[in-house]
Amino acid sequence: MDILIQQFVNALSLGGTYALLALGLAMVFSVLGLINFAHGDLMTLTGYTMFFAIGAGLGLPLAVVLGIACATLAAVAMERVAFRPVRDANTATMLLTSLAVSTILHMLFQNLISARPRAIPVPSWMIGAVDVGGLAIGVIQLMSITATALLLIALSIFLRRSILGIAMRAAALDFPVTRLMGINANAVVATAFGLSGLLAGVAGVLWLAQRGSVDPLMGFLPVLKAFIAVVLGGLGSLAGAVVGGFALAFIEVFLRAFLPDGWLPFRESITLTLVIVLLLVRPEGLIGRRENVR
Amino acid sequence: MSSGPEHLLDVAGLEVRYGAIEAIRGAGLEVCKGEIVTLLGANGAGKSSFLNAVMGLVPLAAGRVALDGEDITGETPEAVVRRGMTLCPEGRRVFANLTVRENLAIGGATRRRAGDAATILADMLDRFPVLAERHDQMAGTLSGGEQQMLAIARAMMSAPRIVLLDEPSLGLAPRVVDTIFEMIVALQHHGATILLVEQNVDLALDIADRGYVLASGRVALSGPASELQASGEVERAYMGRD
Amino acid sequence: MLHASTTRIAAVAAGLVVAGGVAQGDSHGITIGYAGGFTGYLAPYDQPSLNGVQLALDQINEAGGIMGMPVELVVKDTRSDTAQAAVVAQELIEEGVVAMIVSCDVDPAVASGVMAQAAEIPSASSCASTPSLPAAVGPYMFSNYTADNLQGAVLAEYARGQGYENAYILLSRDTPYTEKLPEYFGEAFEAMGGTVVAVGEYTMGQQDFSAEVTNIGGLDPSPDVIQTSAYEPDFPAFIKQLRAAGIDTPVLGSDGIDSPTTFALGDVAEGVVFSNAGFASPGSALEAFEMAYEAKYGTPNDTVFTATGYDLMMVIAAAIEAAGSTDGPAIRDAWDNLENVQVATGSITYKDQNRVPVRVVALNQVSGGERVHVGDFSPDPSMIPAP
Ligand SMILES: Nc1ncnc2c1ncn2[C@@H]1O[C@H](COP(=O)(O)OP(=O)(O)OP(=O)(O)O)[C@@H](O)[C@H]1O
Ligand SMILES: [Mg+2]
Repeated sequence: MDILIQQFVNALSLGGTYALLALGLAMVFSVLGLINFAHGDLMTLTGYTMFFAIGAGLGLPLAVVLGIACATLAAVAMERVAFRPVRDANTATMLLTSLAVSTILHMLFQNLISARPRAIPVPSWMIGAVDVGGLAIGVIQLMSITATALLLIALSIFLRRSILGIAMRAAALDFPVTRLMGINANAVVATAFGLSGLLAGVAGVLWLAQRGSVDPLMGFLPVLKAFIAVVLGGLGSLAGAVVGGFALAFIEVFLRAFLPDGWLPFRESITLTLVIVLLLVRPEGLIGRRENVR
Repeated sequence: MSSGPEHLLDVAGLEVRYGAIEAIRGAGLEVCKGEIVTLLGANGAGKSSFLNAVMGLVPLAAGRVALDGEDITGETPEAVVRRGMTLCPEGRRVFANLTVRENLAIGGATRRRAGDAATILADMLDRFPVLAERHDQMAGTLSGGEQQMLAIARAMMSAPRIVLLDEPSLGLAPRVVDTIFEMIVALQHHGATILLVEQNVDLALDIADRGYVLASGRVALSGPASELQASGEVERAYMGRD
Repeated sequence: MLHASTTRIAAVAAGLVVAGGVAQGDSHGITIGYAGGFTGYLAPYDQPSLNGVQLALDQINEAGGIMGMPVELVVKDTRSDTAQAAVVAQELIEEGVVAMIVSCDVDPAVASGVMAQAAEIPSASSCASTPSLPAAVGPYMFSNYTADNLQGAVLAEYARGQGYENAYILLSRDTPYTEKLPEYFGEAFEAMGGTVVAVGEYTMGQQDFSAEVTNIGGLDPSPDVIQTSAYEPDFPAFIKQLRAAGIDTPVLGSDGIDSPTTFALGDVAEGVVFSNAGFASPGSALEAFEMAYEAKYGTPNDTVFTATGYDLMMVIAAAIEAAGSTDGPAIRDAWDNLENVQVATGSITYKDQNRVPVRVVALNQVSGGERVHVGDFSPDPSMIPAP
């Protein structure tokens, strides 16, 4: 029983990071119909910013703030420079653009910084665990769960209460009509990118705290997971992305924890099979966007 | 403002192309302040294309659009809305997964700085009481007629000087259409200027001051609504003369 | 760093770097090829290897070249792509290289290696450590790097020497290295009388080891030692989560964790023992290499792959020198008989080893963020698991 609760907490913490990433991906997808494969590279950018900030003696808290800010600004810049010119082009063009952006960033990281990983030291207090009712919860896990919860609450308030937030949800449903409300399309798109960058930055910090180093290609795997989470939750649904992120983490952690030894080599295939089965049962995803009732 | 007919909306020589398709081939019209003008035409005549081009939603290949004397040709839809012209699009297109309240709130996005969003909202809820009842319901769960009322109210939330309505009767039961048209007339009485696209010729000419008939992307016929109604030429124009 | 970077960008753009300045085809020059993954996922290994190779090349040419002839290196990027590795190898063969360095990973190394094999040109992977690689390609393919079975055996011998009875191994089937090395360790550990109590599996890049760590905590009997060949980002994530769960079982790693990240981990990495290709003790050849490296590149060396790249270039030079010819079969035979070639990490012997060299394995311990030399080991060949 204890071990079950422990694994539950484990999944919750991992799910938080997946959810933040998936939400960022979904946010951009919902307004532009673009899966931004350079999304994971924003995490990498957070990592390098932190690496240089710590190297410059700025200390961890400032490094974290700068890292997140850098990812946010980079996302906005990415939209302005790379995606705005192809906004009206077809989906394939936009997808290729995002792959190109990602590849260019990899090349820049590898050649201007280093192909080798760069260490990001994490203070030792973060590595301990706190005892919560007999459960050992890692400090990083706790930070991950807390940061995710706070960010999701803040974001949901923004999306429900502010006009820009409502406009973003509206844009996800019907972009042209949102413009008919006098809402500036560029502002909505830039906000979506900015928020996705912010989310990637926070996820990046949590991810980096676990891995202890940044390398040029580190964004690839997380963006893949986030993509699976987004599809699982329902393409175009923001709530779906969050649910998909948690669902994926729960499937992963519980398979790794409870699969019999002989089955372990197949855990990734089992995960993907489960995702596919879920999608067969519910093609629109766990919280897919229901067809508009007219 | 001076009295007498003054063009609030002035469109001339409008052309719209979708690749090789020439949807509008040089059409124009004028709408005076306080008027209901109707733009009629068969399926595919280019009515929606005309409105969308006027709003800046689709690019225009040629032509000039002026709002209250100011050239707004080629401006983005959001800029046009801020200048005081809006479109209630064909098929209603309410934000299905947003509540009625949110749909109206976003409709009034441009009035927030002016500070009169709350007043306009109160006015709309007064005019469309059913929306007040359904305030927290998802727009997608409303009936077709309710959605059309929401779409009109949402458009009116920006306090437009002129509103373009694209087929508000589409897919609605006759009794509901009557209600909607009564509301359009009421809007006019409250000072609204309306360009109404319709397929329902009789109803539209009933409430309109003047009318235009679009056929194959050109204005085939125009005149005071009563004359058009009486002449019986509208039906012939509908067939297209090209 | 910036200097090296601009060269690399130029290398990527032009597809080749010419060092030495003597064009191939000139009877006075010797051309060596390097088909490496300088961009893509192999860049972290092949880029440093290339730096080491170029340093060796400078030294060789300064000392008069090989057999009195200047040596030139032709570098081509495989973009870490296996198909491209074959294409690029063929291009190098057409340019007349007499020996070829191929990628650090097994698959592209095989792809390039079979082309070289067919052309009877000897080749060696810069740092692939799978001992079965040369046999998989043929008599013209050599290994260079410390083999996985060798490291596994040395780690097992050390573990048994510490009196550890029960071991947990954590492996990933994503690469032969992360899968086989722990398996070789387990095999040797059991051959020496120990027991492997459980095997955990992870996916490279999974970050989250909470499930595995929770399982380790629940093991009965609990292990005396944990061995893994996970490297970053997996190793730091694993050990942080392991220590955070209050599990202080000793951990043995392999050369993949010989990286600044490991030494920046702080308390959690304290006491970790890992194997690698050598320790730069004062006065050693490796220390001299480190100094020469910093002098050439203006930045301290931060990985052993530079040194092993350097070693490989020195081995190739020794083989050609011994063959007294640039003829492929002659070089191959000479290479296969090399003994005690003095290189940066110590010495290398190919004679009687089926093209998988015997070289020293060093054990190091992380202590206070520094590396402490535990010792250099050459295990009894009978204790090395067969590939
Ligand atoms: N996005 C588009 N791409 C290509 N062709 C289009 C597009 N939109 C409209 N058309 C074409 O342009 C012509 C005019 O269409 P439009 O929708 O403007 O007509 P309409 O008068 O509004 O018709 P309806 O009464 O059915 O709404 C039609 O032939 C239509 O097929
Ligand atoms: Mg239409």
